[in-house]
Amino acid sequence: MSGPTARDVMDPKPTVLAATDTVSKGIGYIMSGRFRNVPIVDGRGCYLGVFGVDCLLRLVLPQAALVEHGLTDISFVSDNLKDLRRRLHEYEDKPVTVCLSDEATVIRPDTPLLETLLVLHQTRRSVPVVNPEDGCLVGVVSYWDVGKAILAQEV
Amino acid sequence: MHADAAPGLILGLDPLWFATGVFALTYILVMTERINRAIVAMLAAGVMVLAGVLTQKQAVGGVDFNTLGLLTGMMVIVAITRKSGVFQYLAVWSAKKVNADPWGILVMLALVTAVLSAFLDNVTTVLLVAPVTLLITETLKVSPYPYLFTQIFAANIGGTATLIGDPPNIMIGSAVGYTFNDFVIHLAPVVVVIMAVTLIPIYLIWGRSLQAHADDRRRVMEYDEKEAITDRRVLVQSLSVLTLVILGFIAAHGLHQEPSTIALFGAAVLLLLDNYPRTAEAQTHAVHSALTEVEWVTLFFFLGLFIVVHGLEVTGALTLLANQLLSLTGGDMGVTAMVILWGSAVASAVVDNIPFVASTIPLIKAMAPTFGGPDNLMPLWWSLSLGACLGGNGSLVGASANLIVAGFAERAGHRIKFVPFMLMAFPLMLLSILIASGYLWLRYL
Repeated sequence: MSGPTARDVMDPKPTVLAATDTVSKGIGYIMSGRFRNVPIVDGRGCYLGVFGVDCLLRLVLPQAALVEHGLTDISFVSDNLKDLRRRLHEYEDKPVTVCLSDEATVIRPDTPLLETLLVLHQTRRSVPVVNPEDGCLVGVVSYWDVGKAILAQEV
Repeated sequence: MHADAAPGLILGLDPLWFATGVFALTYILVMTERINRAIVAMLAAGVMVLAGVLTQKQAVGGVDFNTLGLLTGMMVIVAITRKSGVFQYLAVWSAKKVNADPWGILVMLALVTAVLSAFLDNVTTVLLVAPVTLLITETLKVSPYPYLFTQIFAANIGGTATLIGDPPNIMIGSAVGYTFNDFVIHLAPVVVVIMAVTLIPIYLIWGRSLQAHADDRRRVMEYDEKEAITDRRVLVQSLSVLTLVILGFIAAHGLHQEPSTIALFGAAVLLLLDNYPRTAEAQTHAVHSALTEVEWVTLFFFLGLFIVVHGLEVTGALTLLANQLLSLTGGDMGVTAMVILWGSAVASAVVDNIPFVASTIPLIKAMAPTFGGPDNLMPLWWSLSLGACLGGNGSLVGASANLIVAGFAERAGHRIKFVPFMLMAFPLMLLSILIASGYLWLRYL
């Protein structure tokens, strides 16, 4: 590839979670960094999936509303913030892998820049960059990284 | 027996054996579920016509459009009614009526399921009640298994009580001309007894240990069932039409109308009420949406199956089978009724009861001369209905509703395993058939 690639705009030292980290730690990262997703890696730094806000929502919503053919309207349930906090608390000491999603789109370091932007546009979240040879995470591309790289160019 | 003439040899085979072979192959393919059952039935129906077992005219004549119309009409009505949230309202209301007591909720949700199943199809009923059940058990921190198990039973038992509760009853009613009232008068009493008796072992096995913390019960009591009603206009319209349709079923005999006419007319009226103020484009979208809720796979399965079974009927295969059955039972009404009841119960526990009932209906009709005419066959029809509907409780594959609940439970992380379910369900199903036997014996034999 001769043109710019994902490697040129990615953050090579992103915030990551180890598979053994707790949900509580993951929540801390998400809240402090305003992340939508945080990659989870194994002991060798290989990419396993992401821990994201979608899953956190799943943890506090009733399961009956999340399963296929479940409740489509739960306005009759009047759980308050304390109830939600209690529900979340039940998961806080569990490993982040309870919330691991391996369905997030990933790109390669040599993915062309425009393709990288298209994936960002389609997924609307930061995209993990994974080395295809060993499956290890080499970086993350976010809107901000791309924006910074574009704005650094002279018109 | 149908008056149409049977054709000559087909591929060197007597048409009777050719038709029997096609039917047996259809049955096997439906059981294995490797190919969608609608495809299997339509292919088999095509073979019956293309091979010359039936003419095109005979094939169309073999289709019971009353059954198809009734199923379609009710599916459309339910598809619109469910948008109102009334079924969630009922489930939450019933849970609160027993102060969120875990055992009380199990009983109430079972009763709601049974009553709804009597008027709606069983799959729809469990799809509506199971998610609320999961929500309540999640809140109470109790296992949903006993609740879902009981609801499977309640759906199949409740569906037995009326003409429209379960497809076997729709088929029997349509084929024999029995009315909505006939089913209620003859089957509802024993269904009430069976439902009540079924709850006793369930209480002894699970009920006594169902406990919930007071705080969790309070959270259930805080549910506001009125908020479950999402569209009051649809609620009023759909309940009005549903009530009128049921009244129509009750009065159908006096009105000289078939249930399918009433159901389809009710569906058309409800579609009109639901769409009247909308633009043409919005109407198209809404009608399309309501019609996509119709289970076309089931309808085309029925369509093909009716033709295949008609092929068996025309070739005389079912008359032959009926005569063999009668020679086994010695032509005794009581013995024949019990053979049909227990045989259809066991068969329905392991195979799809729709093809079973479709092929047994003409078989029973063929017994009319032995028992002094069609009017004397009533005990056999109720035996078939009770056996086929209640037999579905015998295993997870016995009825569509069972599989729907099992699939839902699995997605929610509460797997209902085949063997443990059957170890509990099969004896309970046999208990219900025992009660049905006593009822038939005392009332008709």
